[in-house]
Amino acid sequence: MRYRVFIAVSFLLVFLFPALAMAESCLICHSAMKGRMEGRKGFVVDVNIDSEKFSESKHGGLDCTGCHLTYKAQPHEPAKEAEVPAEVAELMPGTSLKGKTDPVALGACVGCHPDIYAGLKESVHGRNIFRKKQTDGPLCLDCHGNPHYIASASDKSSPVNHANVLRTCGRCHEEKEVVEKYGLSSHVIEKYKESFHGKKYILGHKKVPICNDCHGSHAVLEWDAPDSPVYGASKVKTCGRCHEGATEKFAAAPAHKYIGKENPIPYYGEKVLILLVFGVFGFTLSHVLLEAYSEMRDKLVRKEGRDE
Amino acid sequence: MNKELPKEIERFNVTFRIQHVILLTTFLLLSFTGWALKYPEVEHSRWWIRLWGGPETAGTIHRVAGITMLLDFAWHVAYLVYLFATGRMKIAATTTIIPLPKDVFDVLKNYLYFFGFSKEKPKFGRFSYIHKFDYWAVFWGMGIIGSSGFILAFPVFASNFFPQFTLGWIWPTMRILHSDEALLAIVFILFWHFYNEHLKAGKFPMSWTWITGKISLETLKHEHPLDYEQRFGKTGEKSDE
Repeated sequence: MRYRVFIAVSFLLVFLFPALAMAESCLICHSAMKGRMEGRKGFVVDVNIDSEKFSESKHGGLDCTGCHLTYKAQPHEPAKEAEVPAEVAELMPGTSLKGKTDPVALGACVGCHPDIYAGLKESVHGRNIFRKKQTDGPLCLDCHGNPHYIASASDKSSPVNHANVLRTCGRCHEEKEVVEKYGLSSHVIEKYKESFHGKKYILGHKKVPICNDCHGSHAVLEWDAPDSPVYGASKVKTCGRCHEGATEKFAAAPAHKYIGKENPIPYYGEKVLILLVFGVFGFTLSHVLLEAYSEMRDKLVRKEGRDE
Repeated sequence: MNKELPKEIERFNVTFRIQHVILLTTFLLLSFTGWALKYPEVEHSRWWIRLWGGPETAGTIHRVAGITMLLDFAWHVAYLVYLFATGRMKIAATTTIIPLPKDVFDVLKNYLYFFGFSKEKPKFGRFSYIHKFDYWAVFWGMGIIGSSGFILAFPVFASNFFPQFTLGWIWPTMRILHSDEALLAIVFILFWHFYNEHLKAGKFPMSWTWITGKISLETLKHEHPLDYEQRFGKTGEKSDE
């Protein structure tokens, strides 16, 4: 029995070793190196990889060269363009706008996640990069975080975890410059926080919908695009995922609209209610304090007065 | 008069007492589980809501307590109608909870007394304006907070009843109504009800009437002289002295 186990293990090791060896050999240097260095193309790169964190990450089982496709030959000798797979090379005009150090690695995600990438390219975010050649708009890493330590979305540390989505989207959608440049609706994050969903979200409610739950994630579209999940008939369906039996009338509810002067009833309604609160508060407090005062006065001064 | 007077009389029967206990229990539950949602961005709100089992559980408690409170309220109103219809309850100026012009004068009189301009306190019936204010505030709360809460808890159902033109503003309005009026209710109970029934001189830590239903004749005479006179006549006062 022992003998057989030994054979099986050594058999496995023989096959696994080259793979292990490859990641390991990069990490021999890169887990020990600290700080930043100027790379060949003049960009400063962080050279340290936390090998433990990397191996625990979602992609910890991959080789370095699985994404850093141009680093096939040791050490760091760039491969010829032809060796980069066509589907990655095709993305280079876009990825080179976003990642200066290794745009190939930035596009390498497509190798394993082709459908997601296809959706991203056609999304409002992807079109801005790949068609309009802008640097704004997220590619994979802008939302999923450091490529070497990508965590699953269910992991609390992931920037795309339910609890972190608002902050992650807010990195751009709260930026005044981005909002103005593209004419996005302003203060969406703030407005969401003001909404009933948003208030529960801030308290840590785990089922309340956050940005991507209604708007979609990789293939997100302008809210009023015909295929947008928050537009027209699709909105009814989207609301209905949580609110069983949702109708068009129900879906007409504004999910995150500002309570401002442009919506006078809730805006001035709130002012009136605040006045009412302070009015009642003033009356009760004055009554209570004055009564307490008169009781004390009676006790101290008019000792006889009580029964009259 | 030589007639033996009882030491205490029943002010609230057992039905009213049960209704009150349900009301106060659900009120506290609703205040505690709803509070964090009023100011969710405050650091302690997250801590507080975790005490109530997290936002999901707190939400369930809040809904169950809310419906229980509304049912309690409906029971109370139905009970009053029953008492009135069967002649067990009669409406009289000295015993009614219905606000009367006298209550306005009582407020003014009491303020004069507070400031020392008058040496005489107003004479109250079974329910002073303080009690009436306390009582009708609950009706106001049930109407505003209860209905908006019901709408917020069952939004799909409620949306069927809203006309088209309201859809743009009705939801934020309901949310504001619910949360601002709830704050008002909490503030009101804290200051008005707690002072008058708990902290007031001679009552601390509380008036026990809510459990026993009884009020001593002594207290009745001081706090509800008109009710006392209605029950025992003016002579009672003399025989006591």
